[in-house]
Amino acid sequence: MASAALIASHLSRRFGDRLAVEDVSFTLEPGEIFALLGPNGAGKTTTLRILAGLIAPTSGAVAIDGQPMGPRSAPQLRARIGFLTEAPGLWDRLTVRDNLLVYARLYGLPSPEAAVDEALERFEIRDRGADRAAQLSKGLKQRVALARSLLHDPKIAMLDEPTSGLDPASAREVRDLILGLRAQGRTVLLCTHNLDEVERVADRVAVLSRRLIAIGTPAALRQKLFAPRVRIALAQPAEPFAAVLRTAGLSDIRVDSTVMSLSITNTSLTTPDVVRRLVEAGAGVESVMPEEPPLEDVYLKLVRPDGEGA
Amino acid sequence: MNRAVALLGKELIDLRQNLTIFLPALLVTIVAVLMPMVVAVIVPAATGERLSDSGDLEIAVEMYKKDPSMRSLEPEAAIQAYVFEYFLVMLVLGPITSAMSVAAASVIGEKQARTLEPLLVTPITTFELLAGKLLGSLIPALALSVISIVLYLGVIAAAAHDGVFWVLLGPRTLGVIFLIGPLAAMVALLLAICVSSRVNDPRTAQQLSIFVILPIPALLLGQIFGGIELTFPVILWIALVLTLASAALVWVAIRLFERETILTRWK
Repeated sequence: MASAALIASHLSRRFGDRLAVEDVSFTLEPGEIFALLGPNGAGKTTTLRILAGLIAPTSGAVAIDGQPMGPRSAPQLRARIGFLTEAPGLWDRLTVRDNLLVYARLYGLPSPEAAVDEALERFEIRDRGADRAAQLSKGLKQRVALARSLLHDPKIAMLDEPTSGLDPASAREVRDLILGLRAQGRTVLLCTHNLDEVERVADRVAVLSRRLIAIGTPAALRQKLFAPRVRIALAQPAEPFAAVLRTAGLSDIRVDSTVMSLSITNTSLTTPDVVRRLVEAGAGVESVMPEEPPLEDVYLKLVRPDGEGA
Repeated sequence: MNRAVALLGKELIDLRQNLTIFLPALLVTIVAVLMPMVVAVIVPAATGERLSDSGDLEIAVEMYKKDPSMRSLEPEAAIQAYVFEYFLVMLVLGPITSAMSVAAASVIGEKQARTLEPLLVTPITTFELLAGKLLGSLIPALALSVISIVLYLGVIAAAAHDGVFWVLLGPRTLGVIFLIGPLAAMVALLLAICVSSRVNDPRTAQQLSIFVILPIPALLLGQIFGGIELTFPVILWIALVLTLASAALVWVAIRLFERETILTRWK
């Protein structure tokens, strides 16, 4: 097994009296897309900045490719990271090409011009290369910022809200790009509020609310927080058949017109048993599907355990 | 240092696209060039009164009689040389104004445009970042120094009496323009960078330029009324003080320009 791309060990960060991040630990594997979720002020950006060596943790440690991040090693280790900041942060008076060219030189690339040409091509912004950054739309600025953060072919991409401000088509392109990075064996750390995006691309998810309150694959988090449910679509109104199942001992049944959703976790019945009873009662069963709560429900249950707003 | 050069390149492109930032410095330079011209050439020509007829300026003639290089000058030319030499120190104001404007806009501009965080993620060190910013502000200031002295000497050559040009083209002039000018500009821009690390408005940093600018007219007044003579050794002493002040401010700037401070306190 390849060694971890990044290890965060017991990271805490205090700003004066305020504890922004407390005892956060996780490991990122090569070729993994890892999403960091959390409400505003949960410490996501602080965590990202600590991981990128921009600010030091009050306690804890970060290692990239097995090398500990410290004041001396940070400049070299930062060269292995591509960091997309929340704001595109382009120099408005410079052209797109010049913006990228300065960064290509800052990263010490051997052929800055060629690297910029390649990035302009890859991100389909070649025709805007001579435009000043100030002339670009928000979406195009975000694309240029992405091109800038990946210009030096980093092993780890840390992307803070990468699809923020993008139209659906551009957002999809960015998602494809993120998946492409994984296919190349690169590690992606995604920081976002867009749960749909996370659902589509993330291998693992961590939910942060100052402390790490959950970590795992989306499926594992669902399983941990929600009892498995089955969704059965009938050919006729479902309510009379729900009554049949209730008499058989099932209590957690939700009915919506011809569809019923039920939990069989705490009963002796299996899904085939339920279907057989429905058919015996005269129901026309059209489909039986496992019901997966959206990641949004998982997230809200984690960050608002009292159920508020969920 | 390649990264500092890369950043310097960015700064110069940025300035080329924002030439209006030099407007205050250019105006100050033009005024500094024209002021002695008005006093020593235009007013006497317009009124028909020679400066050497005024009792107030006899001191100038006496002073220059003591200086072997001046003895060949006519009394009127000696007074013109006196005026042009004393006002020379005002030429330093242009580079100082330029350095302050560029440095304040460069640092606070990055802060306001949120362009610093992506920059800090690169392997650039704080020293390289500061070096790029310093050079980006200092080079235009030096260019302005050269422009201002060429203009000054050009005006003298064209309008002043014979011989005044050659009196001005000496070590004192070169010392003021190429030692005091750049070093004062350096102090000004370092001060701007230090202040910029703690404020969010470029105007606050620019207003503090008064601390660097005020001593210059004070030096002029000191020469005229206070008997201060800006000899070459005095120029060297001033240069030494400015060098020490620059070194101290570099130390302060590096400490104030911390990544953590920039990222966590700059809003």
